[in-house]
Amino acid sequence: MIQEEDIEAPVSLSLTPYSGTWTKVQAAHLLRRTLFGPTFAQIQQAVADGMNATVAQLLTLPAVNEPLAVDPAETIAAFGTSWVNSVYPSSNQPLVNNAREYSLGGWMMERLNQPTVSIQEKMCLFWTNHFGATASFDARGVYNMHQLYRANCLGNFKQLVKDITVDPNMLFFLNGVSNNQFAPNENYAREVLELFTVGKGLQVGPGDYSNYTEADVAAGAKIFTGWTVDGMLSDTLTSPQAVYYPILHDATVKTLSSYFGNATVNNADNLEYSNYIDIIFQQPNMAKFICRKLYRWFVNYDLTPAVESTVIADMATTLEANNFNILPVMDELLKSDHFYDVTMLGTIIKNPLEHLFSILNSTHSAPSFDLATNYEMYVNVYAFAQTLGMDYFRPPSVGGWTSYYQAPSYSRLWANSSYIKLRFDLGTYLTVFTGIQVNGETLKVDALALVDGLSIPNNAPQVIDDIVDVFCPKGLSTVQKLTLKALLTNGLPDFEWTTQYDDYVANPGNVTFSDPVRQRVEFVLYRLFQMPEFQTI
Amino acid sequence: MKRRNFIQSAALSSVGVPLLLKDFKFGAITKELFKVSRTAEDRVLILIRLNGGNDGLNTLIPLDQYDNLVIQRPDILIPQNQLITLNATNALHPVMTGMANMFSDGKLSILQNVGYPEQNRSHFRSMDIWSTGLMDPAGTTGWLGRHLDHDYPNFPDDYPNASYPDPFAISMGYEVSSTCQGLMANFSTTVVDPFDAFNLQESSQLNDGTYYGSHMEYLATMIAQANDYGAAVNAAANNGNTLSTMYDDNNPLAVQLRYVAQMISGGLQTKIYIVNINGFDTHDSQVEDPGTPAVGNHANLLKSVSDAVAAFQDDLNLLSLEQRVAGMTFSEFGRQVAANASLGTDHGDAAPLFLFGTCISSQIIGPNPVISDQIVDQAGIPMQIDFRDVYASVLKDWFQADPTDIQGMFEHTVNFIPVLDSCNLGINENKLAGEDVVIFPNPCGEQTTIRMNSKNEQVIIQVRDMFNRLVVDVCSKSFNEGSHDIPVTLGDLPSGEYLVVVVKPSGNFTKRIVKVKHI
Repeated sequence: MIQEEDIEAPVSLSLTPYSGTWTKVQAAHLLRRTLFGPTFAQIQQAVADGMNATVAQLLTLPAVNEPLAVDPAETIAAFGTSWVNSVYPSSNQPLVNNAREYSLGGWMMERLNQPTVSIQEKMCLFWTNHFGATASFDARGVYNMHQLYRANCLGNFKQLVKDITVDPNMLFFLNGVSNNQFAPNENYAREVLELFTVGKGLQVGPGDYSNYTEADVAAGAKIFTGWTVDGMLSDTLTSPQAVYYPILHDATVKTLSSYFGNATVNNADNLEYSNYIDIIFQQPNMAKFICRKLYRWFVNYDLTPAVESTVIADMATTLEANNFNILPVMDELLKSDHFYDVTMLGTIIKNPLEHLFSILNSTHSAPSFDLATNYEMYVNVYAFAQTLGMDYFRPPSVGGWTSYYQAPSYSRLWANSSYIKLRFDLGTYLTVFTGIQVNGETLKVDALALVDGLSIPNNAPQVIDDIVDVFCPKGLSTVQKLTLKALLTNGLPDFEWTTQYDDYVANPGNVTFSDPVRQRVEFVLYRLFQMPEFQTI
Repeated sequence: MKRRNFIQSAALSSVGVPLLLKDFKFGAITKELFKVSRTAEDRVLILIRLNGGNDGLNTLIPLDQYDNLVIQRPDILIPQNQLITLNATNALHPVMTGMANMFSDGKLSILQNVGYPEQNRSHFRSMDIWSTGLMDPAGTTGWLGRHLDHDYPNFPDDYPNASYPDPFAISMGYEVSSTCQGLMANFSTTVVDPFDAFNLQESSQLNDGTYYGSHMEYLATMIAQANDYGAAVNAAANNGNTLSTMYDDNNPLAVQLRYVAQMISGGLQTKIYIVNINGFDTHDSQVEDPGTPAVGNHANLLKSVSDAVAAFQDDLNLLSLEQRVAGMTFSEFGRQVAANASLGTDHGDAAPLFLFGTCISSQIIGPNPVISDQIVDQAGIPMQIDFRDVYASVLKDWFQADPTDIQGMFEHTVNFIPVLDSCNLGINENKLAGEDVVIFPNPCGEQTTIRMNSKNEQVIIQVRDMFNRLVVDVCSKSFNEGSHDIPVTLGDLPSGEYLVVVVKPSGNFTKRIVKVKHI
């Protein structure tokens, strides 16, 4: 294998707008990074619309429906209605909460299974990873936290940090609820600096992490005292709420380290946390930290010194110039010369949700049965992702998933020998095996929808070319394409496929003609999903 | 000392041994086979990661500090009469009956106050430091990865192969262990269930020199390796056996360790297994209720660890594999001395580390931590034993790696501590001819012994403290030619490091020893 330092460096490190050719290669690259598996039609549309219009569409947030009650254990909200502002019963709350978590998990998968061309869900997962909070025991709070991410996914980062600081789910997750003046709990105070805002720098002395110190952690813990949460699993309150109790707050004057200009934080009761976050955001290294995370999420893991001094520095400048609004940074990045540099294609091994939904979305596969069946199928998909290492409700730690920070392997951690076997097994399951079966209905790749949507579906070489364009960032070798074509044609001359496909089109609804077409395409996908070229975006 | 290339030797032995293993079920032949295989070539190291930062002070309780612990952590401290007393000044958490029994049987070693200088209280940074064994933030190779890289510099190119058919390391579960990260690839293969059969589609990929090409090569290599190593693991699991009835199916750590026993007994030549248990980040609800501090999340975690390790050791005994296997726990940090208001503890500094097996050197290494009667904001337990020295010593004692090579794997000046050398007796005796002085036990209590070769000559032996002050004048007399055992009484000297100085015409020696209070 070749050493990392020998890998070909990008030609362009510039954030100036990309002005090269705009073909399906660039359009598909943009969509793969911002959606969970584009379709052939979406790629074609993006080619036709051009870069600017496609990015503008991606940065538009759609309206989103709420998760619905589907489980019989939900005794408050009526079947098929939203439960997110429903109280709990006065007994058996955990049973109802299980039903709500089930609904929420299914709904989150449904969100990823939309044909909408928007970056929203990719950003929502990004923020889930960034803040790393695990689900608390009240599903309404979990929903509210995710809605905070979703609604503000391209909004103001400083405000998002303020909001998450007093978010009930976060207050539970990092022990804010038990942090009080009588015995401060450092958990949130540490992570807000280390992982959410300025990030830890090099340790340059005892308790001194370049961007902050242990004393800042202790001071922060005091600043954050006084908050707790009301209404968890409440039978009267319609959602958990952060509540401030002055008696629990440490009203002393806190002094920060030189990294924050030795600033003093005076008692400001329930506004003190906000004042402190304002101070944190004045730290000179503040903008770069989140820009690095955006870069790793959307571009490439490797923050070389050259990338640091150009791309990251320029992103940070944009972020600061826009008062920490995320949208302008994403707009600039997704249109940049660097983003479309040929060496940036296929640099990220798909995470489990990207993997599963590239299988489903790119083949137009979505459950369209009764509500309960749809949700149960989505819950199955949720469990698949969990098995592959990505439990959307529960990042493995407050640092998020290791693939986004653990050097030197990064996204390769998604594809070790255990996980790759599961990926192959699930790919098989969703193509040539039974698929997800619920109440007599099946969710698996929709091979016919896929092939019908290609440019010349009755032309075998073109079918393979189109499928490769959808799924493989840098294509396949001629030999690999021939392997796939042989699976499509069952080893017969190409015209046999043409005949087979034309017969199927001429006989709509007749499984005698559609089944062979479906099966051949499923075989192609089955093999393709086990190729290394399919594993990256 | 001749450098031993442990994995190479293990692989060479496969010409004879594993062929037999493939044909026979274990019970009948294991004992005979492994009676003779006590050398480093056959040895296996188990790492148990306690993820989240284990609260050492509620794991191993310093009884001589108990009154001050009451001041520091009144709500979570376990009543003294419920603790399992190991000796006059050390006790274990009441759920740790399994490991307490191992202690009584001489199969458990406790190193106190293990950490590193200038503790970093970030989980992530600290786990990186513990995984790499390096303080340099740019360091990404694991401590075991460097050791393996030294012997197999081209890995993963052309592995596995006929000489090395088995994974060098196995990480149980879905994640490779950062401890085994080498320069080019991670040496650990993940195994969820060794009985799983692998039959993945392989394809050969060209690396076009880009990030993408590098991923393609990685994936193709990994898929091929997964098949080959998967087949080896599968064969070993089917050949292997486990005999202990102490494993609890509901204890995930016990399930993992049973799989490990199954693979070892099946003849797999893997030298390193890593198992993991999450949940030690006990900021809150470490104990359920101040009225019952021996019950709660931390108790459940310690019980899982203790029960699983005891079952595993029992199994190794029944399988006659005890002499081949040693284990070690690690965690990214201990926790603060004072409890917080959430019935929990925040990130701290040093903590005890456990070694287990029949080859441990000592039972308790290092003195008890000193607990203040005042609550000091954010105070942790200061480090006394550098974990990097523990790693280096494990490589030296257990894998018989060359000390010069080991030094090359670490950035600090390595100080070797005897940790797993009691099965090396034969090796030590041979070694004496070349090395002239061996001190055992070390670390020691009030007594230790110097074994020394001399000519017919006058010999001065002294013990000096780290400021070079004479603290024990052992002897100054003439010795006959040959090997001599000279008893040394350290008496009530304070615990800590000392130098044994041997002055004689045929060559002078200075050896560092560690005196501990109780051993």
